[in-house]
Amino acid sequence: MQPSAVPAPVHRGEVSTPAAGSPRTAGAGPTPVAGPRGSAGRNDGPKEPGRARARLYRFGLGLAGVVGVIALLELVVRLGLLPEAWFPPPSEIFPAFARLVVSGELFGPVGQTLQGWVLGILAAAAVALPLGIAIGSIELAHRLTRFMLEFLRPIPPVALIPAAVLIFGSNLDMKVFLIAFGTFWPILLQTVYGIHDTDPTLRDTARSYGLPRRARLVRIVLPSALPYIATGLRIASAIGLILAITAELVVGTPGIGVSITDAQSAGDAQDVMYAWILAAGLLGFLLNGSLQAVERRVLHWHTSFRGEAR
Amino acid sequence: MLVVSDLSKTYAPGGEPAMAGLDFTVGEREFVCIVGSSGCGKTTMLRCLSGLIPPTEGSIELEGRAVQGPPEDMAYVFQDYSRSLLPWQTVAGNVSFPLKYKGLSKAEAAAATEEALAAVGLADRGRSYPWQLSGGMQQRVAIARALAYKPRILLMDEPFASVDAQTRAELEDLLLDIWRRFEITVLFVTHDIDEAVYLSQRVLVLHKPAHVFEAIDVDLPAERDQMDTKKLPRFGELRSRVLASLRAPDTTSA
Ligand SMILES: Nc1ncnc2c1ncn2[C@@H]1O[C@H](COP(=O)(O)OP(=O)(O)OP(=O)(O)O)[C@@H](O)[C@H]1O
Ligand SMILES: [Mg+2]
Repeated sequence: MQPSAVPAPVHRGEVSTPAAGSPRTAGAGPTPVAGPRGSAGRNDGPKEPGRARARLYRFGLGLAGVVGVIALLELVVRLGLLPEAWFPPPSEIFPAFARLVVSGELFGPVGQTLQGWVLGILAAAAVALPLGIAIGSIELAHRLTRFMLEFLRPIPPVALIPAAVLIFGSNLDMKVFLIAFGTFWPILLQTVYGIHDTDPTLRDTARSYGLPRRARLVRIVLPSALPYIATGLRIASAIGLILAITAELVVGTPGIGVSITDAQSAGDAQDVMYAWILAAGLLGFLLNGSLQAVERRVLHWHTSFRGEAR
Repeated sequence: MLVVSDLSKTYAPGGEPAMAGLDFTVGEREFVCIVGSSGCGKTTMLRCLSGLIPPTEGSIELEGRAVQGPPEDMAYVFQDYSRSLLPWQTVAGNVSFPLKYKGLSKAEAAAATEEALAAVGLADRGRSYPWQLSGGMQQRVAIARALAYKPRILLMDEPFASVDAQTRAELEDLLLDIWRRFEITVLFVTHDIDEAVYLSQRVLVLHKPAHVFEAIDVDLPAERDQMDTKKLPRFGELRSRVLASLRAPDTTSA
């Protein structure tokens, strides 16, 4: 439940390299993601059916895994290996979940959690993106802030809950603040890192063709930082959900977390509690999935998506 | 047109110079090739000439004006051609993006792009992405971008290094044709002595740290032909002279 400190800047498909200056050989990432590039990228047509079948096969395997684990859980509980009083079998959790959906009870708390998540991440991004762009493009600012960022980043956002409650009380503002604080760092650091890591040859190309400063930022630097920023947002998304539910559980700000504690204290409603936990899990899964789908579209040109989108 | 005087570059303060006392002049519409051993400072020289990095000492004048930043009307084809292409832009987008900042309308830019891509034999790949092309094709995209820009002076850093012999010969003739038609000035860095002699009117032989060891005038007929020109006895003589000059022990520098 403790959200871990924000991870160090990462870039999809690359081993995270130590900060600045390390020249990046374009496309020659050390990881196997570069694989599909040659084969799938170049011959567009003929391999299509084979790939679709492979994808279906992968999906099928994944589904089989999920079903298997659920069946195993059911068995373990039915056999009495886990006490049924605390661990209701999946065959009770799923109906409880279905009842929440049908009665519409699910949507209020999910909406409240989602609201905090959206507002918090928007607030964080609204500050972190421009700030990250500025720090990443101004060398002096980069040097000045480097150590400070490294120091602030590891503060676990949950440590701020008491302060946040004092400042904001226990309502939505407090949840939004907590999420904004926690998601600010990954977005900021990834932005700084992405901007700073723009290939110098690309910068030189733009400069030698006389692109003005602003155009270089918009047409060269930002697009090449976009994969890093997307990763930052995905990390932020996961942290944001953890913090939303933490705030709800600990402080009682309305949302899924409150429904979990309510179900817990209602005594005879273990299945409902697990149904809410399931809801939190599904929400995280959907959020991550949608972000990835957007990423796949926008970054179709990037090494880690090449060959999938075209 | 281009006057380079006593140009020096030392990257790390107090370190070894990459370029020392480089002096030469390039005339209007001249085609000059530059040869020199690997690491002798050819790229360093071009980066200074293009205004991307400041020299430590000396001056560069382009058409009477000191070069302090990237001059207008100059295009530079980088040695790292593949890293100079934007992976999020199509081939056509890569060729056309500088044109907008040169003041061309959308339609003009599209026409120039199409023409340049056709010239390098990539007319049908405009909608591909650079990473879907082979290395040699990527190199031709970078060349097409420079051509579409219609510069008055063109700097090229080993632009034909990763194409096959046949394509290379075609690109050489294409470049000569463009050089004549558009009346541009070309500075062309290459490792290939045949190429240097075949293309140019003058070959500058650099020694390390970059300085002109010898300038060799190429007194071949203006009209060049891959078969006939290379068969001329004079071509062989010039070739040998350049080779000898490259290998000569340095006597000019201290
Ligand atoms: N950015 C840099 N920082 C420090 N040293 C550099 C830098 N760029 C080049 N050098 C050094 O300057 C010297 C000349 O390099 P340069 O790239 O100009 O050579 P080159 O003639 O273009 O070689 P090649 O034919 O292999 O491309 C080399 O010793 C190189 O190590
Ligand atoms: Mg070089």
